[in-house]
Amino acid sequence: MNEQPRVLYWTMLSLIGLVIAVYILFPVFWLFLASFKTQAELAQLPINFWPQTPTLDAYAALFSDTHQKGQLLDWPRLIGNSFFIAVTSTIIVLIFGTFAGYAFARLQFPGRDLILGGLLISRMFQGAALLLPTYRLMSMIGLQDSLIGLVLLYSAFGLPFATWIIASSLREIPRELEESAMMDGASRLQSMVLVVLPLATPALITAAMWHFVGAWSEFAFASILLESNENKTVTIGLASFVELFTLEFQYVGAAATIVALPIMLVFFFGQRYFTRGLLAGAVKG
Amino acid sequence: MGSVALKDIRKSYGAVEVLHGIDLDIADGEFTVLVGPSGCGKSTLLRSIAGLETISGGDIILDDTKINTLQPKERDIAMVFQNYALYPHMTVAKNMGFSLRLSKVDKDEIDRKVRAAAEILDLTPLLDRYPRQLSGGQRQRVAMGRAIVRDPKVFLFDEPLSNLDAKLRVQMRSEIKELHQRLKTTTIYVTHDQIEAMTMADKIVVMRGGHVEQIGSPLELYENPASVFVAGFIGSPSMNFVRASAGADGIEYADGHWLGRPAAAIAPGRAVIAGFRPEDMRLADTGLPARVALVEPTGAETQLVLRTGQDSLVMTTRERVTQKPGDLVHVVVSEGKLHCFDADTERSLAPGAAPA
Ligand SMILES: Nc1ncnc2c1ncn2[C@@H]1O[C@H](COP(=O)(O)OP(=O)(O)O)[C@@H](O)[C@H]1O
Ligand SMILES: [Mg+2]
Repeated sequence: MNEQPRVLYWTMLSLIGLVIAVYILFPVFWLFLASFKTQAELAQLPINFWPQTPTLDAYAALFSDTHQKGQLLDWPRLIGNSFFIAVTSTIIVLIFGTFAGYAFARLQFPGRDLILGGLLISRMFQGAALLLPTYRLMSMIGLQDSLIGLVLLYSAFGLPFATWIIASSLREIPRELEESAMMDGASRLQSMVLVVLPLATPALITAAMWHFVGAWSEFAFASILLESNENKTVTIGLASFVELFTLEFQYVGAAATIVALPIMLVFFFGQRYFTRGLLAGAVKG
Repeated sequence: MGSVALKDIRKSYGAVEVLHGIDLDIADGEFTVLVGPSGCGKSTLLRSIAGLETISGGDIILDDTKINTLQPKERDIAMVFQNYALYPHMTVAKNMGFSLRLSKVDKDEIDRKVRAAAEILDLTPLLDRYPRQLSGGQRQRVAMGRAIVRDPKVFLFDEPLSNLDAKLRVQMRSEIKELHQRLKTTTIYVTHDQIEAMTMADKIVVMRGGHVEQIGSPLELYENPASVFVAGFIGSPSMNFVRASAGADGIEYADGHWLGRPAAAIAPGRAVIAGFRPEDMRLADTGLPARVALVEPTGAETQLVLRTGQDSLVMTTRERVTQKPGDLVHVVVSEGKLHCFDADTERSLAPGAAPA
């Protein structure tokens, strides 16, 4: 009976969704296609949507030694820096987040729930307001223009949320499993490593993905803290195109594609865990 | 060996004391059942023995060694949890061998022990399955298997059958009992189900509100309950209780009808609570008059609900019952089956009954 209104409803909804998706993705896709075009083709009017003569020249240029001629930044180096920062701080956040999350989930201490809630609130105070104080602080302790400094900073920023996700998921794991492990002869650490963590894998993966993506794409703090060219990250590299070659979109497109690639891979392979882990954390907070 | 002695065990959560000094001796090889209503502290006591809770006072002694402060893993005690607590990411074999792997037993030995335990519990075809692929009864058996491969001094069970359906429960009950007869390992078993307690126990410990109410064999508790609480808790259907008083020649119901003779003389005029079991009553030509309210045949027996004065009485009989609801009948209590309790303390007035 009310089959028709429902079909109509879903059709409308899908259409609206499609329009929004196209609106958002079109520029991205255009940039992606631009990375395969030549300088000449990009300058040409009327604009071609599909590359006429697809070429990987832009990618080759990013990975060649053009930077030595001062035209482009040293992209292999930028990518290496970003990877170093994202991977290292992810590992740090996972290790500390796991132990902290375990403590929040399992141990009794005064103010536990208040602090756990506070971890989430602390996320609200990040961002622009912290830029200057952070810069002052990092300069004072000699960690400005340092990859290690950025690793520590990202770890500090990422830890509360990772801890919260991990704690929420550990709370769902029945205590008896651990008690059983302890009766079976496990120490607390063994019961955590052999029984609890394998069951918390989705949450650990979620926390890791979340942090990796955040660290990989962070721009504001990286841009004020990193000064020398050999310390820059991919996001700074992308931003630098604004000043460098306003017309050479093939480079911008190629660089943007390279920067987006790890993020897409992370989501593609981690999707399953990502939604599961976030939900697991969301049901009980 | 595995004898357990509890001396004045106390446990508080914050300011609230939930175990008020438990004394208990369990001989090596004994099957002891802790029974009592929900919330009376059975699990807390069991978990204290396991080392999962730290006690606030008293001593736990296992084979002459004080184990109060030992970690669970140092106590050589195995526990089967109510929800089984199987490791979901390990196969049945891995679950059962977990403790042996932790204690670095070599692989062949683990394999041999796991297979032997699986054999006993009929789990051999399931060794490669994961817990989620098992039925409730099978999970229960894996949980037991995990306990027996360790060959511990003591087994603890916390309401292990409460998640199973009635039929499976009866079956597992006898399996656990058989297992005990075979292994003869000291066992402490918690349940709130008095039938489980009666059928399985060598020794029953009835608990109430963090105290031990009475300790004894199933038949001792059935025949000589120390209090109204134990008398009402053990036996099904429950014992009938009525307000009565001691007369010159025995116990009289409120309306003056004679109920029976108490086990020990009671000063005439003293108010008591008289108790008698449904199965110790029979219909007679004279005796306490009562009106039939319900007749419930269950096959071998018939259960009658009777009303007299303010009281409602339940009786069971194996005879054919021709009476209908509304009929007037007379009931008597079988000789020597009348239990008398102090009207205020509710403790038994029988000779030798433990004082409150
Ligand atoms: N972790 C705890 N914190 C506070 N009170 C508890 C805790 N565990 C149990 N209790 C209380 O202790 C009493 C005994 O509980 P328990 O041993 O679980 O009873 P049973 O197993 O006989 O049902 C109950 O009143 C319960 O509310
Ligand atoms: Mg309990």
